[in-house]
Amino acid sequence: MFYNYLKITLRNLRKHPAYTFINIAGLAIGVACCLLIMLFVIYELSYDRWNTRADRIVRPVVEIKFGGAHMHLAVVGSVVGPDMQRDFPEVQANCRFRQYGSYLVKRDGNGQQNIREDNVATVDSSFFEVFPVDLLEGDPRSCLTQPNSMVISKSRAEKYFGSPQLAMGSTLVLENEERWQVTGVFEDIPENTHFNINMLLAMNGNREVQNDSPLWASSNNFLTYLLLRPGTDRADFESKFAAYSRKKVNETAQRIFGQDISQVESTGQYVRYFLQPLSSIHLYSDRIAEFQANGSIQHVWIFSAIALFVLLIACINFMNLTTARSAHRSREIGVRKVLGSPRSSLIRQFLGESLILSGMAVGLAVIIAALAMPWFADLTNRPIHMPWSNPLFWISIAGGIGMVGLLAGIYPAFFLSAFEPIKTLKGEQGKQAGGGRLRSALVVFQFSTAIALIIATGLVYKQLNFIQQKKLGFHKEQVLILEDAYALGDATQAFKNEVQKLPAVESATYSAYLPVPSSRSDQTYSKIRDFREDQSVNMQNWRVDKDYLKTIGLELKEGRFFDPEKFVSDSTAIVLNETAARLFGFGEKAVGGKVYSHIGQVEGQSRPEDFIELTVIGVVKDFHFNSLRDNIGALSMHLGRSTGLMSIRYQATDTKQLIADLEDRWKKTAPGQPFRYSFMDESFAQVYATEQRIGKIAGIFGLLAVLVSCLGLFGLATYTAERRTKEIGIRRVLGATTAGIVGLLSKDFLKLVVLALLVATPLAWYFMNNWLENFAYRTEIQWWVFAIAGVLAIVIAFLTVSFQSIKTALTNPVDSLRSE
Amino acid sequence: MIKTTNLSKVYRTEEVETTALNEVDLEIKEGEFVSVMGPSGCGKSTLLNVLGMIDSPSGGDYHFMGEEVGRLSERKRSNVRKHNLGFVFQSFNLIDELTVYENVELPMLYTKVPAAERKQRVEELLEGMNIMHRRNHFPQQLSGGQQQRVAVARAIVNRPKLILADEPTGNLDSANGDEVMKILSQLNSEGTTILMVTHSQYCAEFGNRIIRMLDGQVVTENLVKQYL
Repeated sequence: MFYNYLKITLRNLRKHPAYTFINIAGLAIGVACCLLIMLFVIYELSYDRWNTRADRIVRPVVEIKFGGAHMHLAVVGSVVGPDMQRDFPEVQANCRFRQYGSYLVKRDGNGQQNIREDNVATVDSSFFEVFPVDLLEGDPRSCLTQPNSMVISKSRAEKYFGSPQLAMGSTLVLENEERWQVTGVFEDIPENTHFNINMLLAMNGNREVQNDSPLWASSNNFLTYLLLRPGTDRADFESKFAAYSRKKVNETAQRIFGQDISQVESTGQYVRYFLQPLSSIHLYSDRIAEFQANGSIQHVWIFSAIALFVLLIACINFMNLTTARSAHRSREIGVRKVLGSPRSSLIRQFLGESLILSGMAVGLAVIIAALAMPWFADLTNRPIHMPWSNPLFWISIAGGIGMVGLLAGIYPAFFLSAFEPIKTLKGEQGKQAGGGRLRSALVVFQFSTAIALIIATGLVYKQLNFIQQKKLGFHKEQVLILEDAYALGDATQAFKNEVQKLPAVESATYSAYLPVPSSRSDQTYSKIRDFREDQSVNMQNWRVDKDYLKTIGLELKEGRFFDPEKFVSDSTAIVLNETAARLFGFGEKAVGGKVYSHIGQVEGQSRPEDFIELTVIGVVKDFHFNSLRDNIGALSMHLGRSTGLMSIRYQATDTKQLIADLEDRWKKTAPGQPFRYSFMDESFAQVYATEQRIGKIAGIFGLLAVLVSCLGLFGLATYTAERRTKEIGIRRVLGATTAGIVGLLSKDFLKLVVLALLVATPLAWYFMNNWLENFAYRTEIQWWVFAIAGVLAIVIAFLTVSFQSIKTALTNPVDSLRSE
Repeated sequence: MIKTTNLSKVYRTEEVETTALNEVDLEIKEGEFVSVMGPSGCGKSTLLNVLGMIDSPSGGDYHFMGEEVGRLSERKRSNVRKHNLGFVFQSFNLIDELTVYENVELPMLYTKVPAAERKQRVEELLEGMNIMHRRNHFPQQLSGGQQQRVAVARAIVNRPKLILADEPTGNLDSANGDEVMKILSQLNSEGTTILMVTHSQYCAEFGNRIIRMLDGQVVTENLVKQYL
């Protein structure tokens, strides 16, 4: 019997190629989208799961609302880890990471080239106890115990020394002067890890740790991981931690402000600690000073929903087309029933057919997905591959065929098998192509989804455009950023002089602090020579040189910027942004105002002589130094050496020539150092890479959703036209015009699309309003975005339907009547 | 074989109630060839469908081979149908996607006849109907007469006790019609009971009893003088 069903199915598919194409292509597109997105979602969910101790590792993090700043930090003080291990028997080990940005690294010996390494961290010797990373060479217990010992990944060992064995005992030179001995080589850390580290430096000997305050929450620079003993009750440990961390914060408040934490909290300010499970960091944590930009559970949800919807749209096509063309099958159903086929056997037959179609579609989808994979991996910024060799993949594919087959086939199977044999044989059933109302509802669902995706795309791009057009308070165009400028060593000033002599260069400045992703440093300043919670302002403190204002294109609101002529007095001068001036309460006249900065570590009640007085010499207009997701915070600038980056404002005449000139000067001044540069506007755009990705994905899948929906609509229109052939013939005989017939046939479908627009509009508005709330600065949701999406959908739907309608309307009326 | 008492069938639409069968009492014995005649809309096809168990009666009793079948569930009816009945339709009702061979084979798939026997029976029948050379053709590649011969072959392949034929010659020219009638007579002479609806007096006389219907009722019954 199965063979009989298979034959019928294949012959039916061959006999109606348009129907077959619409069904298989539609389903294949849907399944391919779904497959790609599922692979992405699985990859996102796999982060840190390889870690066999993942369920026992937690990370303390802190939320600080103080001095006008509100920060969610991934880092805590250096004392947090050791304190926890000392006071909690549940903590088996703790491991701290301190990152100091990138390093210039080279092999020891003459004539070696420096290579920039980004993924370097200073870690405790307990690293290999906490993280189950395989050590290929060296002893996990001792390899990081000695000062200036380092452990590197296998790939770095191969890059610098040729092999892990050759690396052992060798020396690498960091930053041109520090010599570190390789005491271990570890297997590369899997890519699906929330940290991507290639070089581990021993914490032993780190001066920052030695000098750090014993108080919690006074400085926060260390990513800290706690390994809990097996069997620890997580909830119990968390509540103990909450009480313990509050006690520690209270100690800090009492020591620094002489106040209880509850008094500080009564002013709405607070410091709160939390524990994050290791496996939730990648998707749930988006804090300051993360190792790298994490993923987002929101994106996982958005992607999954899109995948599901595109798949549903494709399945709906199948249902709609199958039930719509039931007239073609009704006689077969009748005959089979008369010959004694029970209903169950017909249900099996139609489900079998949809499984066969689903199998073909899924097969095609796997091919489409494989072809689109490189592009998709790029779009999602994840190293995703087709898991050809994974048996689970093939099991899922088989499961997918079953699921899609059932999802798409179950309704038609029950619908068709319920036909009464007597009616089908008389030709009464199937003519009306029953299930019309359900089919309409499904079309509305399809188009609602498609339109909502188009609206979402429109609004994402509107926001991106808003970001591009927004007055940022600085000029990001025509600024070139030279990286690793510290490699110039003593020649920094000479190099700057050389650069400024180039004809295309307008000005140049050294500072690692830029209003695009770069260094950040914040500190709590006081309005008086004492720390009182109501007199403190937490603000960015950026070291800049005298050319910063001009090069970055900031606008002065009041006073002046730093002046080389007044170098001595300017060494205690400070320039604020408007927000900082406001938080200090300077009103309209900030110039001449005094702010106080604490010297050294804050370890207890401060004395007046612990503070130095800084004089405000100018106020710059607020500029967006962080992303537009955040409000502009307080910021201060003072004269200081910060040679991480050199920014160069240039005239856009011949950028290539400029870069060549710069490289030439660089190589002469700093031979053997890597020459790397970027453009400020590109760095700026990168901040919104996530949004751009979301926009692209919503756009592409939205278009696919429209395409698949239209395929379905085309199919439906075809069958409607076929069914109404006689009616149209009669109308033509009675004098109907072509336009009238086209209108008649298109009207019903367009009604559905308009209805879909009404459904999609509030939904899209709701979700996009939520999304836009991620941004402190956001575009308005305007009615015309919805109008454009609606018009687009209606036009596309009309073109789809009218192709068929016009064809039918132009048929000679005699032909249509004869065919009855 | 068939005995009905007060058999009725009423069709209801929203406003109209149509009585297609009005308390029909009928008895058909094994081995009979009964022709049903009457004007369009008199209920003859309805009678055939109800007796063929592809439509259920609204009232009355219907005994088939001593068993009340009028109120059986669809599942049970279909079971009785596939083992005992064969159908021949005016419009042939062959499945377009199946070849001649496969169409004839189909009923045996439902009665789970083993493959080897299926092959043998289909070939025998196709030989007998003289369409063996067309076995791999699809219905639309055949003439009307050939299609009806295939339909008859399909109707008898399970060796049913009763064949229900609804205007089997209605779509055929007279030569092909004759051919089909001869086959039916032959089957009857071999012991198969036949109930046939027809408009044609000529065809009706191939049977041994003619029932005339009007407005859902049996009005007369005549015995036919045997020609063959």
